Amino acid sequence: MLPESHTAIVTRNEHWTGSATSQPYECGWAREAVIFVRALKPSVGVQPDFSVELSPDGMRWVPEGTRVAMPAMQDEIAVARITNFGNWLRIRADFEDGSSSTVLVTLHLKA
Amino acid sequence: MQGMETNKVIENAADQNLEEAMLRAMRLSDPALSRFDPMRRIISFDQFSKGYAGWSQLVGNYEGSLDTMLPGYAQHSSPMLSTLGHWDAGSHGGAGSSYALKVATRPRPGAQNVAIKRHTFRKRGPIRFETYFTFKPEATELQLSETDVRSIGFLFDLQGGDTDQNADRIMPHLRFLNAENGEHLQKWQYKPQTSDFTAIGKGDKTASHYHLEPQGWVDLPGGAQRLCYNEIPTKVNWSYLRFDFDLGDMKALAFQCNDREFDMSGFESISIPAMKNLWCMLNFAVFAETDVAKSAFLYIDSVCISGDF
Repeated sequence: MLPESHTAIVTRNEHWTGSATSQPYECGWAREAVIFVRALKPSVGVQPDFSVELSPDGMRWVPEGTRVAMPAMQDEIAVARITNFGNWLRIRADFEDGSSSTVLVTLHLKA
Repeated sequence: MQGMETNKVIENAADQNLEEAMLRAMRLSDPALSRFDPMRRIISFDQFSKGYAGWSQLVGNYEGSLDTMLPGYAQHSSPMLSTLGHWDAGSHGGAGSSYALKVATRPRPGAQNVAIKRHTFRKRGPIRFETYFTFKPEATELQLSETDVRSIGFLFDLQGGDTDQNADRIMPHLRFLNAENGEHLQKWQYKPQTSDFTAIGKGDKTASHYHLEPQGWVDLPGGAQRLCYNEIPTKVNWSYLRFDFDLGDMKALAFQCNDREFDMSGFESISIPAMKNLWCMLNFAVFAETDVAKSAFLYIDSVCISGDF
């Protein structure tokens, strides 16, 4: 049997402002993850980095260390590649007042 | 001549009896299948240690922009393969392997999420949907939290073939209403009507209706049932569920959960006129709904879908 490979949509067409996170995704079966963040509309204001977060329980989160600039233009895609992430994954972005982005966040997982 | 025909009938009956006996023996001797009672032909048998098996998120219809998607659908997200990992006790695991399919809602009151498997059918006869399932709220509090999950349930989305006389779109829904506004209700309900259709986009090609809106659920007669919940949010017990439905006359035949079999004579499905692209549709969906600002989790250990053909 081929190793599992899966695309999960964890945030779709959500308008991110302030402190925003993707839906926690349980994927301990996967050895590697590629995370794409696509701006579905023109972003507003200064775009922060998004950071990858890990969790021991799906409720409490710690930074994984990876930080990538949010996409600034419509349809621009930012990407992060990670391994050794345990059982849960999410991303977080902290927008300053007045800035925002409408995003599609997808996880691409492989066993 | 009559004697030969009689012999043929006897031979056919013997073949059928032999087939039934062999099928029963083979399935009972298979530890994975002996937990189920499938009809003659297995349409799909999904164990989530083997992957997602075609269970994906129910995405809403849209045209031109994702902004046209109805809010009920916009909240849906992808199901997960879960080990039921808990902060206090580690991975609980499934009933038959380390993994189960997990459908998680957003953490806000009334949030829902749906996982769906999409087929078409080749025979309009009886089908059977069997699953082992459980549900829990996210363990964010050191409390029993037994009224935090509002409901879990399942539905079929069906439509007759393109040459059939009675090719309506039929959607049987059943949910276990666990609690509402903090009241522990614990009863099965069905849904005889959906919401109005909304045109999607500017063309005449797409419409949408959110059939899981909270209004319109009706108590299944005799449908009160106290399921095993266990004593903290991180202990789960698996329950068995079976729903038989006849694709021929589009009627529910039987419904069982654990030791209880319910009277389905008063059950009604959502019935709407056939849609122009959905011929022979055979979709199965499972869903979860939270009553509080906390995620509700529906876990599916395995699913066996079979048909009498």
